[in-house]
Amino acid sequence: MRGFGSTLGLFVPGRGFLYRMPLAPKATASLACALAVVVWRTPLVAVIALAIAIGALTVGARIPPARIVRMLAPAAPVLVILAVYQGITQGWVRAFAVVGGITACLLAARAVTLTTPVQVLLDGVARLARPFRRVGADPERFALALSIMLRSIPYLAGMFVDIRDAARARWLQRSMRVAVTPLVVGAVAYAQRTGEALAARGLGEHDDGARDGAGDGVGVGGAAGDNARGDAGTSATEPS
Amino acid sequence: MQPTGETTTESIGDRRPSSRTRWDATDLSLVAVFAALIAALAIVPGIPVGPLGVPITLQTLGVMLAGVVLGPARGTAAVLLYLAAGLIGLPVFSGFSGGFGVLAGPSAGYLLAFPLAALVAGAFARLILRGSARFRTGLLFLGCLAASLLTIHPLGIAGLMVNAGLPLREAVIVDAAYLPGDVVKNVLAAILAVSVHRAFPRLLGGRGR
Amino acid sequence: MSRAAPAVIEFTAAEVRSDSGPELILGPITLTLAERRVSVIGANGSGKSTLLRLVNGLREPTDGAVTVLGSDTRSEGRAVRRLVGFVFTDPLSQLVMPTGREDVELSLRARRLPARERRRRAEEVLDRFGVGHLADRSIYDLSGGERQILALAVVLAVDPRVLVADEPTTLLDLRNDARVRSLIGRLDQQVVFTTHNLEFALEADRTLVIDRGRVVFDGVPAEAVAHYRALAARSAEDQRSHSPEPR
Repeated sequence: MRGFGSTLGLFVPGRGFLYRMPLAPKATASLACALAVVVWRTPLVAVIALAIAIGALTVGARIPPARIVRMLAPAAPVLVILAVYQGITQGWVRAFAVVGGITACLLAARAVTLTTPVQVLLDGVARLARPFRRVGADPERFALALSIMLRSIPYLAGMFVDIRDAARARWLQRSMRVAVTPLVVGAVAYAQRTGEALAARGLGEHDDGARDGAGDGVGVGGAAGDNARGDAGTSATEPS
Repeated sequence: MQPTGETTTESIGDRRPSSRTRWDATDLSLVAVFAALIAALAIVPGIPVGPLGVPITLQTLGVMLAGVVLGPARGTAAVLLYLAAGLIGLPVFSGFSGGFGVLAGPSAGYLLAFPLAALVAGAFARLILRGSARFRTGLLFLGCLAASLLTIHPLGIAGLMVNAGLPLREAVIVDAAYLPGDVVKNVLAAILAVSVHRAFPRLLGGRGR
Repeated sequence: MSRAAPAVIEFTAAEVRSDSGPELILGPITLTLAERRVSVIGANGSGKSTLLRLVNGLREPTDGAVTVLGSDTRSEGRAVRRLVGFVFTDPLSQLVMPTGREDVELSLRARRLPARERRRRAEEVLDRFGVGHLADRSIYDLSGGERQILALAVVLAVDPRVLVADEPTTLLDLRNDARVRSLIGRLDQQVVFTTHNLEFALEADRTLVIDRGRVVFDGVPAEAVAHYRALAARSAEDQRSHSPEPR
């Protein structure tokens, strides 16, 4: 189950200036890269975007070129087919502009997620979602949902692999249904367990805390845990 | 929020004791786990099909399942969460891709159609599961098929035309390559949904979602 | 040892019926729990877990009321969950993040602490429970005992007044069982726990015996355990007289 965390392209501690850079400029650069590629489909833009993305990974995150190539391997079949098709129908210059641009975007996005700890990424997302509060969204719950999702991918992928192996052992490998049913039933059961665990910790509840007796002051006391407990006690024992 | 007497007037078992209209931690967790399920199914290596190589993966199966298992609201939320995760750069789209760049790729139309597909499939599923227990699998299959023909294919074709510069006729032909796989996945989604709702009868049936 | 005064949990004619029908799962129960350590014993399916879930509002009473320090679990659920921490049997269903540090930070997030403060407190909490060196390891790489201690740290990171633990040692080997028990013994919080380990049950100040949804004994741990043993023996006897003798 271990390997899935790193295949997901999430944070791996390392050296290089990208690790020290705050999230906002990194994310903005990655977004700008994508926008430029979409708006101007020219070879020059593709070259610049590729140079920036590869430069960021090799210099900013000190990732060896071989690993960058490996990062692209899963997407390679699609990219190659797209390149060949575009090359034949619209010319090779255009093919380079399109495929080079998409490749640059993938690498730029990876440079951000590889060098940013998950919690920082979630804080950033919550901050980004703040304006949506007006339309009833809750950025903190969004960030929580996102982190539960990230946590669940390795679990589900691991379960999928286990189930496939078990099915193979029983000579059932040909049946997709046999492979996927326990996965989906398991996913629902897992979600309900996780939901109960969150509820038990008071997480994931919405924020219109009119009945919120304990108040937000709980726990701000830091190391002085006794203080925090005292606060919680007084505000909760005297409800009215 | 909690009118007195509401829990007693409701028939017991239809709802949980506290009747909340907003999502609780379990709903949030179901949405998140199904977003993860779509991701897990999407990153299982796919088979690139057709000249543009938009890959066949189980991704669309995940999208349909979100709709028919969780219902329209939570299902759509799960797909939106999945898309949001991919767009902010997490490699959860097929081929481990992610980031805003995918919006420039040939499969952009398909991705953007997913939340709508979950919404439509979920709405059908809610109707079907509240009705009689007969022909459930068949009806669910038709619901999923309708959802994918109404949303995924038209928007997918539009995406091929805009991002890959295909004329309409060719885009339709390219898109048609996915139809057989789609039918299989929709059958699978219907069968799975029936099993899941048998295992968790209160997931969608009586909760007003 | 006992510097914090025990919190007070009150059950008033609390009963729980099943979600799908009118059958009674638990109760009616009327009790006041003010002791520092309360153990709950009983057979599988007797309603022990439901009793614990009532204390932090994970399960709401169908009838009657449960209050913790005056807060009603039904109408003041949020406040109650801040007062009462809950530890599950299986730490893997408790820990929702890939590493211990992230999980503790998640608990602190809900308290609206700024990022730097969260990080500092997470560090402090993990060290306090002696699992600081495991902070960044995947929870799947930890042993069962390490996971359960981490789960306790995560729950206690936000300083609840009461800790509720549902068979916290059932999945552990002997050594880790002792480790978790001594950790629970040293806590300042009031602790209510269920267990199948009668030795552990004896470490409490008060013990409840639950049988088929009812509190059938309530009192001194040693007597409660004796009562439970007699009960188990009697039901085994019943079983034997009802089933045909193997020949």
